Amino acid sequence: MSSTIAWWTVIIVVGALNFLSRLSFIAVFARVAMPPPVARALRFVPAAMLTAIVVPAVVFVAPGALAFSYTNPKLVAALIAVVVAWRTNNATATMATGMAALWLVQWLLRAAG
Amino acid sequence: MARAVSDPTFACGQVQGASGECIIIGRVRGGARLPFFFLGTRPSVSGIFSRADFIAGARDMAPAQLGLLPFGLVCGVGAQSAGASVWENLGLSALMFSGAAQIIAAQLIAAGAPVAVTILTCFVVGLRFLMYSAAMAPHLKDLPPRWRNGLAFLLTDQAFAAGIRRFRETGDMRNGASYFLGAGALLWMAWQGSCLAGFWAGNVIPASWSLDFIVPLCFLALLVPALEDHSTRVAALAAGIAVVALDALPMRLSLICAGVIGIAAGMITEARRGAR
Repeated sequence: MSSTIAWWTVIIVVGALNFLSRLSFIAVFARVAMPPPVARALRFVPAAMLTAIVVPAVVFVAPGALAFSYTNPKLVAALIAVVVAWRTNNATATMATGMAALWLVQWLLRAAG
Repeated sequence: MARAVSDPTFACGQVQGASGECIIIGRVRGGARLPFFFLGTRPSVSGIFSRADFIAGARDMAPAQLGLLPFGLVCGVGAQSAGASVWENLGLSALMFSGAAQIIAAQLIAAGAPVAVTILTCFVVGLRFLMYSAAMAPHLKDLPPRWRNGLAFLLTDQAFAAGIRRFRETGDMRNGASYFLGAGALLWMAWQGSCLAGFWAGNVIPASWSLDFIVPLCFLALLVPALEDHSTRVAALAAGIAVVALDALPMRLSLICAGVIGIAAGMITEARRGAR
């Protein structure tokens, strides 16, 4: 499949699926009760999916290379960001502190040699 | 517990609670109107739009834009390095309008993954929109279809967080809808700009800045408030362990598997606690 066709197939299909997901309960199910098993499962979607997105970006320093150590700046910065998110519940503060912590740890590790 | 789960009011309340918000909402079943709307008839579109609330929504979204600007840059860089044209980059940001899905689509296409796998993975990453939609539905159900469609299109993590807070504070559909429209419209426009900027100029940012770390940080800021009780924490823990354990799977299938495992773990934990 040519790459242009691949790109546009993905863009249009995922764009439509995203829109239908966003519209789902707002339009279709606005006046019908949500099936209880669906409601129970949906409750865990953010916790599970967001963790699945975040964790690999933090604990892998290279493809396939796990690093649970203070020498992994991303892990240290992410832990600091978790504390900020938990205490302040402020997304902007979380992102700003996380980036600042990452740069600080990277600089310290470089300075330490 | 059994009674609560069979009650749609409670079900939606639970869903809303997962976003870290605690909102008391009206019944969903049978088309009963929400008690706090106090509107007997469906208002016309012109009767719904409130300029002041539209501007307030856009203004309140401004600080969040500071964090989303680098996120958009990262998405633009990702699309560019995956070989997208400027139109494909624009298609990603304008139609998908989801940073996580855009980055994963670019990674998978660059890695030569089959289109079906790319679509499925992006869809699973976007499943959280179902939950946002469910939480928003009671607040939007008396709006005309055009409003509901437009607001649904603009439903993102950040616009949802801002909009649902506003609905809770004002309890007023008219104000909340215009506020949400203002927040979502500004977000959409700024997102196109930052993705384009990343596409064209992202390479001038040195790799040593580790700008792509803004992506996990952005989702971390959404994740922490979602860990509201024991069951959601178990769901997150299971998903986190699974995504690392299954990392060797090709085409980032670990993402889908970890999501399913996390959701299952959360549901089992909740069912056990309820049964006890």
